[in-house]
Order: sequence, then structure tokens, then C-alpha cells
Amino acid sequence: MLSALIWMPMLGAALIGFWPKGMNPNRSRLIALVAAGAACLWTLVIVSQFNPSHVGQQFSEFIPWIETLGLNYHLGVDGLSLPLLVLNGLLTCIAIYSSDVAIQRFRLYYALVLVLSAGVAGAFLAQDLLLFFLFYELELIPLYLLIAIWGGHRRGYAATKFLIYTAISGILILASFLGIVWLSSNTSFAYDPSRTQTLPLATQALLLLMLLIGFGIKMPLVPLHTWLPDAHVEASTPVSVLLAGVLLKLGTYGLLRFGMGLFPDAWNLLGPWLATWAVVSVLYGSFTAIAQKDMKKMVAFSSIGHMGYVLLAAAAATPLSTLATVLQMVSHGLISALMFLLVGVVYKKTGSRDLDVLSGLLNPERGLPLIGSLMVLGVMASAGTPGMIGFISEFLVFRGSFPVFPVQTLLSMLGTALTAVYFLNLMNRVFFGRLSEQVINLPRVQWSDRYPAIVLAVLIVLFGIQPNWLVHWSEPTTTAMNASFPVLTLRTHNFKFVTSQEGQELFSHAFKRTLALPEIPSPMSHTP
Amino acid sequence: MVSIKNKPSNHPLAEYIQRLEAGEALLPDTADNVLEVVGILKSYGVVLDAYSRNLIYIAENQFLVLFPFFKYFNGEITPAKLLRYWWHDRINFEYAEYVMRTMLWHGTGGLDDYLDSPEFKQRAEAAIQAKLQGHPLMLGLKALFPEFLPEQVRMSCYYSALGQFWRVMSDMFLSLSDRYDKGEIQSIPQVVDHVKDALVAAAQLSITYAVKLRGKTYEIIPASAGLTFLTDTAVPYVETIFFRGTPFQGTVSYNAQAHQISPDPSRFNYGALFADPLPTGGAGIPPTLLMQDMRHFLPDYLREFYRRGRRGEDDLRVQICVSFQKSMFCVTTAAILGLMPNPGNTLLPDEQKANRVYLESWMNRFLASRLNEVNDQPNSCPVALPEWS
Repeated sequence: MLSALIWMPMLGAALIGFWPKGMNPNRSRLIALVAAGAACLWTLVIVSQFNPSHVGQQFSEFIPWIETLGLNYHLGVDGLSLPLLVLNGLLTCIAIYSSDVAIQRFRLYYALVLVLSAGVAGAFLAQDLLLFFLFYELELIPLYLLIAIWGGHRRGYAATKFLIYTAISGILILASFLGIVWLSSNTSFAYDPSRTQTLPLATQALLLLMLLIGFGIKMPLVPLHTWLPDAHVEASTPVSVLLAGVLLKLGTYGLLRFGMGLFPDAWNLLGPWLATWAVVSVLYGSFTAIAQKDMKKMVAFSSIGHMGYVLLAAAAATPLSTLATVLQMVSHGLISALMFLLVGVVYKKTGSRDLDVLSGLLNPERGLPLIGSLMVLGVMASAGTPGMIGFISEFLVFRGSFPVFPVQTLLSMLGTALTAVYFLNLMNRVFFGRLSEQVINLPRVQWSDRYPAIVLAVLIVLFGIQPNWLVHWSEPTTTAMNASFPVLTLRTHNFKFVTSQEGQELFSHAFKRTLALPEIPSPMSHTP
Repeated sequence: MVSIKNKPSNHPLAEYIQRLEAGEALLPDTADNVLEVVGILKSYGVVLDAYSRNLIYIAENQFLVLFPFFKYFNGEITPAKLLRYWWHDRINFEYAEYVMRTMLWHGTGGLDDYLDSPEFKQRAEAAIQAKLQGHPLMLGLKALFPEFLPEQVRMSCYYSALGQFWRVMSDMFLSLSDRYDKGEIQSIPQVVDHVKDALVAAAQLSITYAVKLRGKTYEIIPASAGLTFLTDTAVPYVETIFFRGTPFQGTVSYNAQAHQISPDPSRFNYGALFADPLPTGGAGIPPTLLMQDMRHFLPDYLREFYRRGRRGEDDLRVQICVSFQKSMFCVTTAAILGLMPNPGNTLLPDEQKANRVYLESWMNRFLASRLNEVNDQPNSCPVALPEWS
């Protein structure tokens, strides 16, 4: 069942790539859309069959592969990966739909997008460390080519930088995985047996550090972030949508699944440092965004800031904050995809993303009024305005993290205010005022340019009004992730370790009070 | 006789002085400009016809009606018309009143002088007394605010004067369109000549105003007042509507401390020749209502021209406004040439100098106008995207 999510896009890519000569751009696009759409619909079928109350992996598939290496084709899905799979399916469809119909080398382009999507799906589904690494590396190739071939003027530089950074990330992750298996004397790379509580804390910390840097590059966290603004600026709009919406989530997903999941003791040890690192990322990303004059760069730095929230929540490792990481990933995926789509439309119609050149694009007669209005919505969502998913996710991040890291949480909250500063500055300069003379006669925006952004905007509002529809799928899993986890809580001025059961009870009140969730049986109560 | 030409002017708008001295127009003579100007003047003519009839109706039939709820119905009040009105399927007569009030407020020309004369006061008083018979409430109002009703009568005079002015202009623009359709008008100078000839022909038309109350006619502006079409309505109209105008809400601060509005109304430059066709924020285009009205009466060839633009009909009101501004520069050209102290082709140095001084004084007023924009920016759009890199 789960393999279809990987092999349907792969099949589409193969069809497009190996189709006899004579395939036109429209047919390639259609095949790509059908393959991506089928995978997306299949994800929804999986969602419909998914049992949220079951905390373990579901729909597992296991095929022995290279047993001498300990590598097996083992897939599974849980409440952590399910929302990201849906996000991947949706954004792949949107990326293909938003691609330029007249794009050059269209067969290669659509094939690469589908391979990228398959690689990401595989990474989210992999229940084997080595299999995850293979998929993690697999998405590197198409993304590199998508930037290097269809990127902007400095695409070679940006693609190479991305390649080098991500290759280092891969090496560190692989080294950590090898360390886990070899030092634990395991014979396979299967996820579940790789729990490392038996390893000395120092060893755990070292291995975790490698993962942190590896996934920190992917997220990215400051100061490992410098590849991202370049990649975004040079990438085409659909690639930016995938990059921000899905690919960065591989970093956060990896941190949660492997960093937090495999090294709970070391995670607790490093927690305060991670929270501080998150603050640096949030503030650096936000302040740097304020200084940008390129709209796309601003959104890219905003991404860095917002991904810092995920680290903060993960560092706190409370049931509420762990749930918040999932929401923040989905929230950021939808909002950043929307922002990049809108910036892409502005660039396509005006030929510029420069804040010094553009102004008055909200002009009802000759500007981009609907695109501007959607941008207002995106800005509000990104700045955490109530009624949108950005508010829910950020509120949960802060609510879940504050009891553990009050200072870091308060500092991170500044990021929300700073988001309002740079995005309102963007709105003010680009969309308000008189339409700039340099872009006075813009071509009309087609509805096909608007549909993808409208879909994302609807989801942003829908999940903002009804977050339970999203929380419902992930909450038992994220709660279970904390079940085997010693939780750091703040008691007056001192940190104190409490047991997972105590921690759960401590936070369950706040958690349920915040979301007004129905009572869900604790997974601990089912433990024999 | 030796012809001595004036030295080239050093004025920043010398190019246009040269054009006018050569008998050309402020607007370049291109096929697109002719199409736009004639097409838009046709729709303007239709709209002005409606405005004119309504203004005259209000002046004559809504005289001192303090709550003229149905003033835009021209006396024909039916449920169907009321529904259409509420549905906003109608001409925006408010624009005509906006123009009338602007003229009243700026008050230039002989009409304004007459409205301050003792003769007007006397005639207005007679009409007021006739209207107030049997209206104790109105009498009480008059006793409390003695200047209120005469001011209302002054406004009625402007209703009537503007209605009469637009009557002539409407016929002029519609006949221009007819001549264009027959192939008689093919260039911008011909458009200007048509307007100039019509203005000259109507120059001495009397502007009069009378109301009939209780079976008796009260002449408020009699023919003996000597008010004429050109000097007492056309010239004040150009001064008030083309040049001065009023600042449009939302585009400038009304706060005196902001110093964004000149304390001297004669230095206002918010008129049609200065108006930005692009709406800014929620402020709208100053003559937005007029553009909306003209939209309904565009000739097919002009609508097709707009459709060929980059945005099609998405920015129709802006395109109409740009064309309208071009047409107003043609009308202004006609007024400038018509009022020139000496013939444009005079060979006498003194007359040439006098013409030069006259033209430079006009150009001084055009410095902040959109004259360069209507000359430089075609309404049709370049297809290629700008390159910034």
C-alpha cells in the first residue's frame, strides 16, 4: 500500500523519461499531473484507512533486501509522517501545475520533479535507517539538477553550494547511523531495534551531534543555512515551493524521528543548548529577513526563522511541544509554499522581486489585486494571526515550550513580532501606494496562476479554524514519542527530571485546555 | 516683407509651444490617438447629454426643494426606475453635481461676478419670496439664516449654467463622432479645429436662467446680464475642471498643518489635466464616476482597441481615463488656439512675441500636468516584460 506512494511517481517519471520521441510538453505535464495526483489521492486513501489511536507504525511493508548489510525495504507510516506525506503529495501536484507550460527540456523537468517527490515520500516512509539515508540522498540529485538547469543567473553557484552542503549533511547522518548500529552491536539498520539507551551518554551525545548538524543543514539552522537563500533565489517557483514546503521538513522530520527518537537521554542533555540554538536561528532569520530587498530572499530567511520554532518545540520535548512540531511543519509547509507561489506570480508578471522597484501592486485596475490579497493572508498566517494555521502552530510551540524553556521561548516569540515587521514592510512597499511607473502596464493574471495559491490559502484558514482535523492524526503518536522520554520541566527556578508518566500528566491539562481536545486514552495505559 | 521667426523658447515645455505656433495640437497626431479621442468623446457626448438634461431639470424643477430625493429621476418616478436606481443601473448624476459644486466653489468668470451683484440679489429674493409663500417653516429658516436660500439659488444658477454649457459640448462631441464615422475627421488637428469652430460658433450664446413658480416666470439670470457661453461658462469650466479641480479624498492630507494643499485655490492643480488615472489604494480615480458612465457608451471600435491592451477590459476605467485625458488636451488646445491674441501664422514680430508670451503663460500652468505622460505613454501596452537585471 505504502510503496505506491514511491512507485507511482517513479512510474510517471519513467513514462515521461522513456516515452518514444514525439511527446509534447502538454502530454508530459499531463502524465506528471496524473502520477502526482494519483499518489496524492492514494495518500488520502491511506489517511482514510489510518487508525489515529494506534501509535505504532501502520501499513508496514517489509521485504528483505541486502541482508549482509542489514538493509531491508521496510516502510511504515505513523502520525508523525502521515501529515508530511499528505503535504508532499499536495505540493508536488501544485508544483507541477504551477510549472511553466513552455518550460525547456520538459521531459527531464517533469521526470525529476516526480523522482524528487518519490524520494521524499520514501524518506518519510522508511523504517530502516539505511533505507532512509538512501531516499534522503536520492532527492538530492533531482533537486540539484532542477536548480542547476532551470534556475536563475547564478544557478550553477547555488546548485553546487546546495550539493556540497547536503552531501556533508548526508555524510554526517550516515556516520551517525553507522555509529548507532555498530556501537549497539545490532545486525540490521531497522529503526525499532536501534534504540540507544544502552549506549553511554557521551556516545549518544556525539552521535546525536552528528545528526543535529546533518539535519541542521537541511532544515536549515543558523549558521548552517547559507545554501538556502541562494537555492531559493535561483530556483524556479515550483522548485522553491517543494524546497520550502517539503524538503526542509526532511531535516525537522529527521531530527524528530532519529535525533529525538533514538537518543532521548542525549536529547534531554542537549535540550537547553538546542533551545538556545533555536533562538539564534529564529532571531537571526528574522533580523536578516528585515534587511532583504529581494522578496524571495525575505521569504527564504523567514523560513529559517520559522524552522527554528520546530527546534525549540522539539528541544522542549513535552507532549504539547512535540505535537506542535508536527503542526509547525505542516503550517510552515503550507504558508511558505503559498508565499513562494505568490512571489513567483509577482516575478512572472512584473519581472522583478525588488522592493525598491515594485510598489502599488494592490492596484485594483492595473495591479495584482487578488495576488496581493492572498499575500496579505499569507503574511497574516506567517505572523501568527489568529484564525489561521500559523497561529495554532506557533501558539502550541510557545505554549508547549514555555514551561521548560521560558527565556528561550520568550526570545523566540520576538520572532513572531519580527515576522510582522518584515512582511508588513514587504506589503507596504510592494503592494500599497501608487503603482510603480516601472511596472505600470502589467499583463493580466490568469486564473491558472491563482488556483494553487487559493487552494493553499483555503487550507491555511481551514486548519486555522479547525486545527483538530490535523491534530487528530498526530497527537497519539507524538504523545507516545514522549512516553519513553524523561521530560525536562521547570519547577520554580530549577530544572528537574521527571518520569515520562509524570511529564505526560503534567502537560496533558495544558494540552487539552489549549485545544479543547476530547479525552484520548494515554498510550501508557495500554502498556502491559 | 521679410518673415522674422521668434527665437526658440527656453521654456521647459518649449516643444509644445513650437507645436502650437505651428498650428498643431498638444497631443501627437497618430491614428491611435484619433481613434481614442474621437471614440471617448462620443461616449462623453452621450453622458454629457444625460448630465445636461438632469442639471437643467434640477435647476428648473427642483428649485429650493430642500430634500430633493428624486432629483435624478427627471420627473419620471416609476417603481421600475426606482429599482434600477437602487440596483445602480443608472447614470452617475452625482458626477455632474461634483463638477457644478467645484465651479461654484472656485467661482471664476462673469457668472460668479453676477451672482454677487445687487441685481442677482434682487431677482433671487423675488423668486425666493414666490417659492416661500405658504411655507412657514421655510420662512422661519430664511429669518434665521438669511444667506442660506440665496446661496441655494446661486447653486441653482450653476446647475443651469453647467447644464447649458454641456448641452453645447454634448452636441459638439456627437457631431465630431458623426463626422469621424463619415471619414471627415482623420487627424488630431482636425479634431481640434472641430472643437474650436464649435466653441467660436457658440461663443456668444446667452446664458440665462429662469424658474416658473405659481404660473409666473422669474428670470434669475436674464439675457440682459450679458453672460455668454465662451467667457462665462467655457473659460471658467476649463479653469475650474481642467486645471484647478479639488483634491481628491485620500490622495492628499486635508490637515492644514501638512501643507499639502495650497491656501490659494488659484494655485490648485487637481483638475482633469493633472489627475492620475491610476487609483491609489482605496482613493479611486478622481473622475471615477464619469469613467463608469462612459464605459456604457463606448463605440465598438474603441472597445475593441481597449480589448487589445495587455489587460483587456480588466483596466477599462484606467484606459478610458487615459483616453479622456488625451481628449481634454485636444479641447484645451482648441481653447488655447481660439483665445490666442493673434493668428498663429502671423508674420508680425510683435504679434509673434505676444503669442509667445501668451503660450508660455499657458505652459507655465502645464508644468505639473500630465502633458508629457499623454505624449510619451501610449494607451496600448508594450508586451515585453521589463528587464531589471
